[in-house]
Amino acid sequence: MMEFLSYGFIQRALLTGAVLGVTCALLGVFVVLRRMAFIGVGISHAALGGVAIGLLAGLPPVAAAGVFSVIVAWVIGWITRRGEVSEDTAIGVFFPTAMALGVALISLSQTYRQDLLGYLFGNILSVGPGDLWLLLALAGVSLGVLALFFKEFLFLGVDEEAAKAAGLPAAFLSYLLLTILAVTIVAAMKLVGIIMVSAFLVVPAATGQTLGGSVRGMVWFSVASALLSVFAGLWLSWLWNLPSGASVVLFAAALFFGSYFFRLARPGGTEKAGPLPSGIP
Amino acid sequence: MSCASSSRPAIQVEDIWFSYGRRQVLESVSLEVPQGSFTALIGPNGAGKSTLLRLLLGILKPQRGRIAILGQRPGQQGQPIGYVPQGIHLPRGFPISVMDVVLMGRFGNLGILRRPGASDRKKAEEALESAGMGGLRHRRFQDLSGGQQQRVLIARALVSDPCVLILDEPTAGLDPAARARFYGRVCDLQRARGLTLFCASHDVEDVAQHAQTVILLDHTVRASGPPGEVLKSEAVPAVYHFPPPHLHRGAGDLEGRP
Repeated sequence: MMEFLSYGFIQRALLTGAVLGVTCALLGVFVVLRRMAFIGVGISHAALGGVAIGLLAGLPPVAAAGVFSVIVAWVIGWITRRGEVSEDTAIGVFFPTAMALGVALISLSQTYRQDLLGYLFGNILSVGPGDLWLLLALAGVSLGVLALFFKEFLFLGVDEEAAKAAGLPAAFLSYLLLTILAVTIVAAMKLVGIIMVSAFLVVPAATGQTLGGSVRGMVWFSVASALLSVFAGLWLSWLWNLPSGASVVLFAAALFFGSYFFRLARPGGTEKAGPLPSGIP
Repeated sequence: MSCASSSRPAIQVEDIWFSYGRRQVLESVSLEVPQGSFTALIGPNGAGKSTLLRLLLGILKPQRGRIAILGQRPGQQGQPIGYVPQGIHLPRGFPISVMDVVLMGRFGNLGILRRPGASDRKKAEEALESAGMGGLRHRRFQDLSGGQQQRVLIARALVSDPCVLILDEPTAGLDPAARARFYGRVCDLQRARGLTLFCASHDVEDVAQHAQTVILLDHTVRASGPPGEVLKSEAVPAVYHFPPPHLHRGAGDLEGRP
């Protein structure tokens, strides 16, 4: 274990993984609350189109993927808010289109095939110091927005009408949430890869939901399970030479199933459960 | 805290028009609701009740006409208006607690960037007590019965010290006993705090027992007045396209009511 922690590239990976894990876990609360799991899948796959454009145009792929994913997220959001097409249909149109664009562009060039695998499956252990700072900055922006607007996002997710009636700028907040979702997905792409990034947004939050008795409880359990998954996942990845994305997501899933069966074993097994007081009809 | 003070109306609506695209929903709606009263808004599905409530809350803007809530335009932050919806629909298993839900009622007063503090929690606890839900603040909202959830939503509306409560079919899906308890509770609160209640509802019998005024809406105000008068008027069968028997029974029970 000490040997694992002594390498510079592992320390960088752990630091970035921890920041991304916390960001994904917090964002995951709203992904679960606003039923955005599919939009996460859509944006992460659309990011491939952005990566391809970046690689071919000679731009930094992460930056190109960021801009492209934010635009796709906004368009999906705009179409959905207009209400003529349902959200899952809008995502179902954009997700394969942007993915197909990425595959087509990358296949035009032989040189980038190897890079593509890295983006699809993620390998944070191979990320250089320069890239890590970029990922940290992206995750930091998302984390900052989440910290500033947590209660507003929560209100909007629980009861949009009441939030609007209380004077909250609902459209602005919805687009802001989509923006940081896209930014976080792009940042986490290096860690867990395009295919598994959406799982990282949902699985720790699902564990938090299973164990938490309140929003605060859900946040703590989500963050704790994400951090544990990053540390244990990277360690196992180093130990057995596994892809970092796969081992992190598998560990997160094991935590979810553990918490799920723990909950099943204790009926109503959250904090403060028990029969409802009889005096209150 | 008591609300009713000056003689100006709690809600004043003058000749408002509203359409979604080409679909005209409200045409020249005018009404006035005195402070401290209970007014029920009835009408068939698609009559524009929810649209009218959303205009009063400032979520929508009328294309023509004027709305004043206690003399102010609707939709301004920190206005003394509470909103009780039909319910809130959470993903299954989302662990939001009763306290979390009630505290949301303070967010409008807090503004962006400020977190609820000890005084907000105290207000939330008081509001839960007033709604008869004091013992349940740590419970998951989703574990409560429909009637209990509605009373938590009343507490959420009360926590901002409103003078006007706007209720959008608050008892939809509740059994008759829970409906009766719900209206009993809001009427107690109305009297204790001098609240003005404006409630859209399909429970004609229940609101007829408790409201002082009934407004029958079908894109425009078709009838308005004391429940007994409105429910017996010609407008009811015309608007509903057939005379629902319970409407007549409801009206019959009210004869002799002042």
